[in-house]
Amino acid sequence: MNALTVINISKAFGHFYAVKELSLEILPGKIYGLLGPNGAGKTTTIRMIMGIILPDQGEVRIFDQPNSIAVLEQVGYLPEERGLYRKMKVDEVMQFFGELKGMKKKELSEKVLYWLNRMELTEWRKKKIEDLSRGMQQKLQFIITILNKPRLLILDEPFTGLDPINTNLLKDIILELKDQGTTVIFSTHLMEQVEKLCDAICLINKGQKVLAGNLHDVKKQYGRNRIQLQYSGDAAFLSDTSLIAHYDDYGNYVEIRLQDQVSSQQLLQRALEHAEVYRFEIVEPSLNEIFIETVKNQ
Amino acid sequence: MNNKILPVIKREFLTRVKTKGFIIGTAIFPILMFLLLLVPILLSTLKSEKQQHFTVIDLTGRVYVPLVKNLADTTKKGLPVFLLKLLDVASPEQLIEAKVALSAEINDKKIEGYLFIPKTVLENNVSEPTKDVEFYARNVTNFQMNRNLENALTSAIRTLRLQDSGLDPVTINRLIRGINLKTFKVSAGGEQEDRGFTFGLTYFLVMILYMMLIIYGAMITRSVVEEKNTRVVELVVAAVKPFQLMTGKIFGVGAVGLLQFLIWSVTILVLSLYRLQIGQMFGASMADLTGLPSLSLAVVAFFILFFLLGFLFFATMFAAVGAMVNSDQEAQQVQMPLIMFLVVPMMIMIYIIGNPDSTAAIILSMIPFFSPIIMFMRISVLMPPAWEIGLAVLILILSIIGMIWLTGKIYRVGILMYGKRPTLPELVKWIRYS
Repeated sequence: MNALTVINISKAFGHFYAVKELSLEILPGKIYGLLGPNGAGKTTTIRMIMGIILPDQGEVRIFDQPNSIAVLEQVGYLPEERGLYRKMKVDEVMQFFGELKGMKKKELSEKVLYWLNRMELTEWRKKKIEDLSRGMQQKLQFIITILNKPRLLILDEPFTGLDPINTNLLKDIILELKDQGTTVIFSTHLMEQVEKLCDAICLINKGQKVLAGNLHDVKKQYGRNRIQLQYSGDAAFLSDTSLIAHYDDYGNYVEIRLQDQVSSQQLLQRALEHAEVYRFEIVEPSLNEIFIETVKNQ
Repeated sequence: MNNKILPVIKREFLTRVKTKGFIIGTAIFPILMFLLLLVPILLSTLKSEKQQHFTVIDLTGRVYVPLVKNLADTTKKGLPVFLLKLLDVASPEQLIEAKVALSAEINDKKIEGYLFIPKTVLENNVSEPTKDVEFYARNVTNFQMNRNLENALTSAIRTLRLQDSGLDPVTINRLIRGINLKTFKVSAGGEQEDRGFTFGLTYFLVMILYMMLIIYGAMITRSVVEEKNTRVVELVVAAVKPFQLMTGKIFGVGAVGLLQFLIWSVTILVLSLYRLQIGQMFGASMADLTGLPSLSLAVVAFFILFFLLGFLFFATMFAAVGAMVNSDQEAQQVQMPLIMFLVVPMMIMIYIIGNPDSTAAIILSMIPFFSPIIMFMRISVLMPPAWEIGLAVLILILSIIGMIWLTGKIYRVGILMYGKRPTLPELVKWIRYS
């Protein structure tokens, strides 16, 4: 059973198609990255998943049920645009959201104390929200999202505004949650985090899915034509444009992009003809590059 | 669905009730009421403080003495309030000089003012122009004093004129005495002498109703706008449906207003029931105290009822306003038409109070936008027939339901929109879209 299945959803605002026939399948207990440039339709998609807006067509199923209010209680959603009641105290706000999610008093108080401690916010328990720094408020918003231990967690840009230490803290907690069986979908621009955390990704552009699948598979798809080479001797082979589309010579080593259809073995043989090869490495492209290239090509 | 709305109601209620603003605001009212109760009492026991110096130019030569006798008011210490001095004037030239000199004395604050009594006041010539006494003073707006002088002069001059005609002033005065209309308010509870305070009390209560509707309505708008501005609405809407949020907000804020209302109503009732005892504590005599307005339980009950109905009706619209805008300033603009609906009844209040069962009043008290205030006005002046009240309430309840449906749609779309304010056609699209 999928944690989340999105079948062919579309959404238009007037003449503008925000999302066009998008389908997703997300396995339980995995971390899924939802990527895309600004305005690609990620937030609209997430809102349709959460039932905040209704799709013009298509279906959303969470844990194999339609996304009714009852099911959505098992989903935690951290929206991209978020804030808190400025004049309320930290524990009051947490209590309010806990009650909204139907948590019982005792469990709620325990969870509140636990997470404040975990996020290093304990001394701020009785302070007003407006007295907290932005980063602290972000951490608090995250806690509120996971207070009731949702089975599915949807995070829209969870790392914004966090310094490296807090980013790391959040990353660790997400991994913990995954270990406990939570399915996590997060949308972000920070490819670094995606590379570290995600099992699978989906790249959306202009409301449509352009790339999806297991992270390694995706990279492999793009990965075959980048080489890092260390050599000494004759550099003539570098000028062979039948093999090499582009190269950057850094002095110590060269980064080479092969022409399409050219295999890395062909380049190795060619290099060995005239030079001594110390290092020959097939490098996986960074997700950043894949992102930019895919979007540019559309 | 209920357990989702409850936390919202709780939050809206507690965050307001615990503030200093609420506590002080709620407490001020009973204190205010208490003072307002005192003022009429104190006024009736009030006496003048200072002695006033006046000069009199009496060209008739006969008014001065009786005038002095008539101005026999005393200060608290028993000294005469009016100290008069007669100035003799022999010729028109002397008159002009005297007037100039007296004006100077007034400006130097040596005297308060002077009276000029022309000869014509006692001449019996019908074709003569008005026989007026002139009063020159630095302060001419002390109506109390002006009236005292006028009364004293009238009495003196009238008596002299009557005597000149050979009539006996005492008999004549008795015969021409005017009639005072003493008003008694008849209600189910009996009769109650009214000394003009019923109007005052009605005005006061209507004022409160009007202000409360506006203040608490605006609170709703502000709450919605705050949630939009801080984006907390996005987090909340992930856990409750927008409609639940809106109704929770309306009930929560309404509960705060209702609490205040109840506290105040109880205060008014208590003061009303014990007004005689309280008045006596301040040294007023029983005579002074008859005519103090009292409040029937029915009026207080309707006070609360129309606040509730009026609030529920307008709160939905105030919520929709908040959903349409992005700042408090914008909100104030869009709120204007709504507030107008509440202001109009206040503007025609005099008419309604004067003609509570006219056709216009009846019709207006049925239109839901006006009925909370206008129907209450009518009730506190002249209880309308039960069926009229029932009809107005029914129309209000149906309107509330309809308005909740309509504004719910606007709210649902608007709270997640941060762009420009919607135009009317766009607003219609929002409604259809939901």
